[in-house]
Amino acid sequence: MKKKKIISIIIFPGSNCDRDLMVAVEKNLGIKPNLVWHQTRNIEKTDIIFLPGGFSYGDYLRAGIIATKSPAISEVIRLSKKGIPIIGICNGFQILTECNLLEGALLKNSNQLFKCEDVFLKVTSKNKFTSSYKKGEIISFPIAHSQGNFFVNDQKLKELEDNEQIIFKYTSKEGSEDKNFNPNGSKNNIAGIVNKKKNVLGLMPHPERAIENFSSRDGKGFFKSIYEML
Amino acid sequence: MIFRVFVNFKPGILDPEAEAIMQTIKNMGNKSIEKIIKGKFFDIYVDDNKDYFKEIEKISENLLSNPVIENFKIIKKN
Repeated sequence: MKKKKIISIIIFPGSNCDRDLMVAVEKNLGIKPNLVWHQTRNIEKTDIIFLPGGFSYGDYLRAGIIATKSPAISEVIRLSKKGIPIIGICNGFQILTECNLLEGALLKNSNQLFKCEDVFLKVTSKNKFTSSYKKGEIISFPIAHSQGNFFVNDQKLKELEDNEQIIFKYTSKEGSEDKNFNPNGSKNNIAGIVNKKKNVLGLMPHPERAIENFSSRDGKGFFKSIYEML
Repeated sequence: MIFRVFVNFKPGILDPEAEAIMQTIKNMGNKSIEKIIKGKFFDIYVDDNKDYFKEIEKISENLLSNPVIENFKIIKKN
């Protein structure tokens, strides 16, 4: 490892992908991440923050909303304004939309199913979170959610498109963006977006579950991009 | 005093749960149903010392509803 960097993973009651993420970070970046309890009021030094998947607070009220009121999220908001990269995966994405760091909202899947399967994704924009992939590359990550149906109004959608804030889209293996390859009803097959400043990323699929021999290993590229970024 | 806050999806937001409820009612034999809008309400109990409407409004905006997808309405009950 070339650099000494601090990686933080925030843990909420009900997070359940924190350990997978920790292992993925350790294996791919060679750094032992700091596990930060949600009641932490002061995150002094960190080079990147992850919000893991799971069901924070049992998805009470709306997925992610209760977590946004925790002290650690106030710190996440403060640090995001300073340009610190923030990555929310699955429930982490839901938390980021609920605290307005990302546009839109994640509704119940339109097909009324909890979707747990491997999906194909197109890397639609290249930025620091996707630097190891080619633009337009098709990769495969697993999804596991019942509320991943990304919604924004048409005006915001246009802004996301114009600013190249859409990072991942659900597609076929060949890259078709037909709605048949949309697992949850997301607007325009959107699976992951960044904020305007492009330092906050939210995605429903799980790159941390795509790093081992028994699964897709396309998640390694995701962590390689993060390694390059730090 | 009780403030009752109703929260439901804005028009145009797909609610698969409401769709499923409507389909079930149809399956039970009632074919005349055209649409169901599902929502939730919260009864917030406060003392009678002052009017808490503004505070309840803030809570409704910041926590009970998500302005991107939901509307809310507050009624006062005694």
